[in-house]
Amino acid sequence: MTSAIANASPRRQQWRRAYWLCQLGGWGVYALAQAVAATVVDHMPWPRTILEVTLIAAIGVGLSHVLDLVIRRNDWRQLRLSARVPRVVGVCAVLSLCAAPMMSIFGLASWQTAEMPAGLPAPQPLTVFVVQGTNWMFLLLFWSTLYFGLLSIRDRQLAALRESELARALQFAELRLLKSQLNPHFLFNALNSVRALIAEEPARAQSAVTQLARLLRYTLSSGQEELVTLEHELAIVDDYLELEALRLGERLRVERDIASQTRTLRIPVMLLQILVENAIKHGIAELPAGGLLRIYAGIRDGDLVLEVENPRPERRQVTASHESIGVNNAHKRLQLLFGPGATFDLDLSRPVWALARVKFPLVP
Amino acid sequence: MKAMIVDDEALARRELRRLLAKFDGVEIVGEAANIAEAATMIESLAPDLLFLDIQMPGGSGFDLLSRLEHVPRVIFTTAYDQHAVRAFEVNALDYLLKPIEPERLAAALARIEPAGALALPQRAAVLEQLFVRDGQRCWFVPLKEVRLLSAENNYVRLWWGKLHPLLGRPLSTLEQRLDPKRFLRANRAQIINLEFIESVELGINGRLHVQLRDGGPEIEISRRQARLFRMQTSV
Repeated sequence: MTSAIANASPRRQQWRRAYWLCQLGGWGVYALAQAVAATVVDHMPWPRTILEVTLIAAIGVGLSHVLDLVIRRNDWRQLRLSARVPRVVGVCAVLSLCAAPMMSIFGLASWQTAEMPAGLPAPQPLTVFVVQGTNWMFLLLFWSTLYFGLLSIRDRQLAALRESELARALQFAELRLLKSQLNPHFLFNALNSVRALIAEEPARAQSAVTQLARLLRYTLSSGQEELVTLEHELAIVDDYLELEALRLGERLRVERDIASQTRTLRIPVMLLQILVENAIKHGIAELPAGGLLRIYAGIRDGDLVLEVENPRPERRQVTASHESIGVNNAHKRLQLLFGPGATFDLDLSRPVWALARVKFPLVP
Repeated sequence: MKAMIVDDEALARRELRRLLAKFDGVEIVGEAANIAEAATMIESLAPDLLFLDIQMPGGSGFDLLSRLEHVPRVIFTTAYDQHAVRAFEVNALDYLLKPIEPERLAAALARIEPAGALALPQRAAVLEQLFVRDGQRCWFVPLKEVRLLSAENNYVRLWWGKLHPLLGRPLSTLEQRLDPKRFLRANRAQIINLEFIESVELGINGRLHVQLRDGGPEIEISRRQARLFRMQTSV
C-alpha cells in the first residue's frame, strides 16, 4: 500500500487513530456487555469470563480489521450501494464462517449455549457452528453499517469544509483583486502633472503629492478593512477629484449632494471611488468640453443609496468592455458583502448620460 | 525642426514645452488640445515633428494620423498605453512615457533629426510616407516601398511587401501628392511604382502589359498612359 504511505499526512494518521479507538472501544463495550451477561445471568466463573471476552474482543477486532483492509484495498467506498452491499455481505459471511472454528479452537464454543437448562444433552457441534456463525454475521454486518455510516458522515463534513474553505479563499482573492485596481493611466498622468507643477506652482505640487500619497495609501490599505465610513471614502474621492482636476482643468465640474445622516454610515471600501473613477474615465475625460459630475448619497426605503451621474460621449467605443469589468467588480463585491440585499444599476438608457446607482442595507 | 504638441492636458503640454526648451534644434510652432484642432493646425503649420498623445477626448492620436493628408514624423507620448503603441506594426515611430525622461527625449530626437533634415526640403512637394490604419493594425508606409496603388471603390489598396492594407481615401486625392518621377497612373484604377517594374510587354492596340516585382496582378497601361510611360522611362 504505497499510496497509503505516501498519503500518510498528519490528518490521515489522525483518522487511523480514531479508527483504532473506535475499534477497541466498540469491541470493548461489546465484550464487556457479554461479560456482564455471562457473570450475572450465567454465573460463569470470573477467570473464564475474562478469557472469553478478551478472545471475543480480539476476534472481533481482527475480523473487522480484515474487513476494513478488504474494503480499503479494493476501494469499495467508491462503489455504488447496489454493488457494495453484496460484496460486503459476502465478505462478512466468509469471515463469520471463520469465527466459529476460531472460537472452537480455543475451546470456547460452549458459553453461548451455556444458558441451556442443565440436563439437556450438550449442543451438537453443527448447531454451535450455525449459532456462532449467525451471531458473528450479524455483528460484522452491524459493524459494516456503522463503518460506512461514519465514513460517509466524515466525507460529507470534509466536502463541506473544503467547499467553505475554497469559497472563502476565492472571496478573499477576489476582494484583493477587485480592490487593487488603481488605474495606472491615472497614476502616471497624475505624476506627469506633478512634474509640471513643480516648475510652475511649487505649492500646488506639494499638495498634489500629499493627495496622491493619501490616495495611494488608502488604496493599498483597503485590503485590511471591508467597510469604511462614507465620510472617509468621500475625503479620498475629493483627493482623487482634485488630482483629476489638475489635468482636466475646467472640463471637470463636481456637484455633491450628501445627506448629513449618511456620513457616518459605512460603505464597502473603494466602492464610491471606483464609480467616480469610471464616470471620469469613460465619461468626462472623453468629452472635449468635459461636464458635470454629480455625487449623491441618501437614504431611501431604509437603504443607503449612492449615485454617480455624468455625461458621456454619444458614440460608445471599445471602452464598453472596460466599463463592464469595473461594474462587474463593484457588483460582485456588493454581493459578497450583502448578498441579495444590495443592488447595482448602471443606467445608460439616455444617449449622452450615465447614472450608476448602488443600494444596500444601512451599516452604522 | 518645426514641432507641434498634441495633448489634451494643458499641464502636460507645458511640461513637454519646458523639456524641449533645452533642444535648440526644435522649435515649437503650435499646440493642440484635441485632434480636430490638431488636424487643421498641422495642415497650416506643416510641422516636421509631432508629439502626439494617444488618449484624447474626441478621438485618439491614431485617429488623427489616419485623418492627415501629410503625416509628419511622430513621437507618441503616453502615460500608460505603450503596449498600444507597440502592438502596432510600427516603423519610423517612437514613443515616450509620461512623465517624460529628458534622456529618453534626447535619444528620440537624435533618432529623428537626420531623417527629418533630409525630408525637410522636399516636404511640401511630394508625399514621403502614409499613415495607414486597417482594422486594428497601423503602419507608417514609406511610399517608395509601395509597388502598386489600386482603387477599390472610394478606397485605395496598397501593395506593400507582403501586406495589402486599405487606405481610407480615394485614389484621385492621393495621385496629386505622389512623386511623379516615381509613380505612374497606369489606368483609371491603378498607379504603379516604376521602380518595381519587372517586365513590360506590348499588347494589342498599343497597350502595355506590366509585371511587377514581389507579386501582384498584371497591370495594363492604357494607350494614352503608355505614351507618357515611354516618355518617362526613356528620360
